Amino acid sequence: MAEARKQITVKGICKSFQNQEQSLQVLQDVTLDVNENEFLVILGPGQCGKTVLLNILAGLESADSGTVEFANGTPKYGEIGFVFQRYALFPWKTVLQNVEMHHKFQRVPKKERREQAMHFIRLVGLDGFENAYPAQLSGGMKQRVGIARAYATRSNIILMDEPFGALDAQTRYQMQDEILKIRSAEKTTVIFVTNNIEEAVTLGDRILLMSNKPSSIVREYVPELPRPRQNTDRAFMDLRNVIAQDMDLAL
Amino acid sequence: MKKTRFDRGNLKYYALSVLSVSLLLLAWFVYSSSANAILSTPMEVIERFAGVIRSPIAGTSLAGHIWASLKRVLTGFIVASAIGIVLGICFGWFETFRDIVWPIFSIIRPIPPIAWIPLVILWAGIGETAKIIIVFIACVMPVVLNTFAGIESADPLLLDAGKVLGANSRQMLLSVALPDSIPTIIAGMKNALSTGWMAVVGAEMVVAREGVGFLIISGMDNLDISLVLVSIVIIACISACLTFILNRMEGVLCPWLKLENK
Repeated sequence: MAEARKQITVKGICKSFQNQEQSLQVLQDVTLDVNENEFLVILGPGQCGKTVLLNILAGLESADSGTVEFANGTPKYGEIGFVFQRYALFPWKTVLQNVEMHHKFQRVPKKERREQAMHFIRLVGLDGFENAYPAQLSGGMKQRVGIARAYATRSNIILMDEPFGALDAQTRYQMQDEILKIRSAEKTTVIFVTNNIEEAVTLGDRILLMSNKPSSIVREYVPELPRPRQNTDRAFMDLRNVIAQDMDLAL
Repeated sequence: MKKTRFDRGNLKYYALSVLSVSLLLLAWFVYSSSANAILSTPMEVIERFAGVIRSPIAGTSLAGHIWASLKRVLTGFIVASAIGIVLGICFGWFETFRDIVWPIFSIIRPIPPIAWIPLVILWAGIGETAKIIIVFIACVMPVVLNTFAGIESADPLLLDAGKVLGANSRQMLLSVALPDSIPTIIAGMKNALSTGWMAVVGAEMVVAREGVGFLIISGMDNLDISLVLVSIVIIACISACLTFILNRMEGVLCPWLKLENK
């Protein structure tokens, strides 16, 4: 990917949290580049500050030091899509209303935002469920709504914070296939955070390994595997084992 | 809202409820039938109830008395809900407003509503307005407190979701924090309705020519214990009806809550 254009440049991000007794350093000198339209996976052990990094990119939290530069200028809220691990759907809104929320905030006329929302609901395979409330959906379906809602912002960048972390293994595999399908339909940059090595190898154009707290980026992998990737392939398993060993060291 | 243990053995729960209420009635019957009891028997109360239905008291029918009280409660309750929700939102959302007004509110809050009766009568006379003001004072506190609590404890995850979807601060309040607080606000309104109902009876016992509180006082003045008991039963029944109606309203206003409880 020699000709890849840099979209986000993250330099020397540090972040610590204070409580009464102590200060806990979560991120230490995190530096990384994100290329346009790549599927970047940030892989790290649980509780290592991956979520904090995504929150900083989304503008939900601010770094103590370091810089985040966007090639097209710092986006405002609503210009980056965010998929939450615990879905964060509005329980009082139907699927359709959840997905069209961004456009409603932008005061897009009702008819137009309906059409937009339906496009993304169809994209995630939820047509027929647009009038259901989140409480009526399974975990996998809820996260489909979460993904549709993030894509409906029409952002060039979508951040996904362990989106399948709360799902059972079977649903997780399905959703991994699904997210790749969606991505081939809607070309965007995706930054995908996970603690699951297999998921990282299945999805990532590039994988960055994060160490435990205080976290920084310790390794980069570029899987040279044809898609669709099979987790029974020799090369797939080799890469998975290499990352697993590195991850043990990083802990 | 989890399933309570009442949901499991429904039959057992109903059987025991019927049993406990029957025991209460039996105890009432046994005690009131004894020679030196200062209490009417259940039979006398039922007879008195039939009498109240047939002949008006102080020129007003039973339905008229009930309606008089209900009108006061509902007027005070509706005004208190409107003002209380707005005030609660201001407390929960605007820090400076909270810092300025909250101390005043905290001083007034613990005063029992009926303690205001003398002052209110001086200001507003002995007409309807005075009683409605007393009900208003009683209703507004729980609505303000619950709205405040609901807005203040709005789910941070949903607030983040609103933010990344590009909501401005007005939209964050009206489209995220406020809907997230609706269950808490409705709980406060239920509470308000029952305290309002208590307050109206109190107010009517001090100054009124009609209303269920007045029925109690006229029973007391005429040593008509049966009338007092009839009034108490009516008050309890209406209170239960009001709660029932608000529960149903909750189901209509928040259809997603029922789904979550399944």
